[in-house]
Amino acid sequence: MDPKKQSIIIGLIAVIATAGIVGGVMYAILAPSEEGEADVLEIYHWWTSGGEAAAIGALVDVFEGLYPGTTVKQRAISGGSGITMIPIITALVLAGEAPDAFQMHAGYEGIAYYEADLLEDINDIWTDNNLEAVIPDVVQSMCQFEGDYYMVPVNIHRSNVVWYNLKELEAVGVDPKTLTNWTAFFDACFEFEDANPGKDAIALGHAWTQAHLFEQILASQGIDVYENWINGLITNTTDADISAALDILTTFMSYTNDDFDSLSWDEATDLLIQDNSVFNIMGDWANGEFLVANSVYDDDYGTIAVPGTGNMYGLVVDAFQHPAGVANPENSDRWLEVVASKEGQDAFNPLKGSISARTDSNLTLYGPYHDWTGADFASVTYMFPSVVHGSGAPQSFSSELNAVINAFCTGAANKATTAAAIANLAADNIADYTTVWALD
Amino acid sequence: MVSIKKIITRDKISTILFLIIPIVLVIIFIYICIIWNVVVSFSDWDGLRPSYDFKGFGQYQKLFTNEIFLTSLWNNIVLILIFVPGSLVMGLLLAILLDQKVRKENVFKLIYLLPFTLSFVVTGFLWRWMYNVRVGVLNTLLESIGLGFFRNDWIQNVDWAMFWVCVVLIWQYSGYMMLIFLAGIRSIPESQVMAAAVDGASGFQMYYRIIIPQLKAPIFTGFVLLLVFALKAFDLIFILTGGGPGYTTEILPLTMYKEVFRKKHFSYGSAIATILFLLIMIVVIPYLYKTYRREK
Repeated sequence: MDPKKQSIIIGLIAVIATAGIVGGVMYAILAPSEEGEADVLEIYHWWTSGGEAAAIGALVDVFEGLYPGTTVKQRAISGGSGITMIPIITALVLAGEAPDAFQMHAGYEGIAYYEADLLEDINDIWTDNNLEAVIPDVVQSMCQFEGDYYMVPVNIHRSNVVWYNLKELEAVGVDPKTLTNWTAFFDACFEFEDANPGKDAIALGHAWTQAHLFEQILASQGIDVYENWINGLITNTTDADISAALDILTTFMSYTNDDFDSLSWDEATDLLIQDNSVFNIMGDWANGEFLVANSVYDDDYGTIAVPGTGNMYGLVVDAFQHPAGVANPENSDRWLEVVASKEGQDAFNPLKGSISARTDSNLTLYGPYHDWTGADFASVTYMFPSVVHGSGAPQSFSSELNAVINAFCTGAANKATTAAAIANLAADNIADYTTVWALD
Repeated sequence: MVSIKKIITRDKISTILFLIIPIVLVIIFIYICIIWNVVVSFSDWDGLRPSYDFKGFGQYQKLFTNEIFLTSLWNNIVLILIFVPGSLVMGLLLAILLDQKVRKENVFKLIYLLPFTLSFVVTGFLWRWMYNVRVGVLNTLLESIGLGFFRNDWIQNVDWAMFWVCVVLIWQYSGYMMLIFLAGIRSIPESQVMAAAVDGASGFQMYYRIIIPQLKAPIFTGFVLLLVFALKAFDLIFILTGGGPGYTTEILPLTMYKEVFRKKHFSYGSAIATILFLLIMIVVIPYLYKTYRREK
């Protein structure tokens, strides 16, 4: 036979066989499963560690108590801040297979989905459940895009907390209540190091914890400064407020552990628990570390607001939403109502270590640390959304901030370069600043 | 007309079946993806919005005025300059050592090759612990043998971080290079070595004048393999330093990852991927061309 004809026939067979195999595989992947028709709620989150898993379990229990006929499918994907989960969710959403709800940080983290019309507005859930009456204004803003609600908050962690080792502080005769400004704070650091040669007063961890610290220092420069910063208005490369914040950071670094860049946030907190340092600035998820170590609040350790932020509450907020085109829209809405409810939040937050996003929560369910922070939550003048934790500024800004501040803390960049880099980050990504925050 | 049965013999069917799946997979998951990546780099696609407006070379223009991209590119070059020659030299030295007819040669081979069998993620975690300033095995060891003054801040050191990253890479790759070089050395005819020995060549002269000049092919192969890896290294550096301190160990694949998965700048990230692809092609094409000519 003519070899040309032979090749053509072989080629044709190859094409047909390929089409068969690919078609079969695609059908197997894309065919609607019988499962999709059942009464199911599918949620994705990254709460996989002990207390976190128990917390989401308690929230699911509340839901199942109200809707016993619905099967809740939890897809827990480990990886802090959703580092593993978010790419998976992105792929699912793009493929039109979005789960009925998924965890995200309120604020800018959801904007890409909103801009792509991948979120349903949930104004009716907010109205029907009278949420505006019990959720603070700034948290409301964090759940909105262009005036409509797209998320409900499930919890609030506080970012501007100084954790101190009470016994070490008492040993050097410092009253923590007096540490309301940076001068007093650094004087206390000096006293501690003077009395404890070889120890460092402040425990600090690796990259993002340094950016977290910088964020708190900037808030201490005033709520207007912070507001301008997260609105992308600080674009002057020699801005005086940024410069002042970096000066404070420089002094701060002179009291920290030398190996800060190789410690995770919890290892840094552990330095304080082990009496190797006296201060640590970290969000209030750190409280769990003290509890695990059997430390007693107001006996072994205590908390104050970051100097200069006594009338502020730094917000790290987790939220859920109603993605467009979900398989079980009614269950998605029901889930959001449970998440936002007093009962749901008071089941979730005591186990999670955060406080309820509602001002009417039952604080007697929480521990002694939460008594302090819960009282502040109800009384502070200002609240500010965290940049480092995904809410306050566009991702194009926040994801680069870690490296910029890390370069400063490790000495890879000087003050002028860092101030310029922070300003340029805002200027270069100005088109991404679509939210105008009003914090005062 | 010839019947189908005659054309499609059993052999041909099995050949088709064996070839068809890998070919389809390679086409879909490699070539179509490469083409799609290039297409995306010319668009404004952000990963979620279904917008593919043509933006020409806009993303590429942005790249070459962006300080972070240029820093990453420079870091990649520094990585190549330390890691590639370092691995080649270490691999060659290990191969020469093993060529001394040592007893239990296979045991040593296994020991040297073992690091290469580890996943880069495992290596990254392992060395991150070893480099830990406070509790890391390196500083603890130095302290315990009385060399505490050599204690170091390793990958935390802004000036030396890239060097210590390269040490890890060399540790992982030199065993593999050793295998390539040892095979090369063993393929040199014994008669040439004997003749040189008869002519009075010393051990050093033997390697310098007779053996190493004949290792051009393995050196070239090793050079290309290492260069390609240095350009696309991601997992190990991501785990070991995350690109820090600051940007001192951030290389192009890390920048690409941040742009795409953290900032959702898919088209910009695709432009970085295209540049990386071109850089790798610049290395690979001459190699393939030379290999193909040699085979001919």
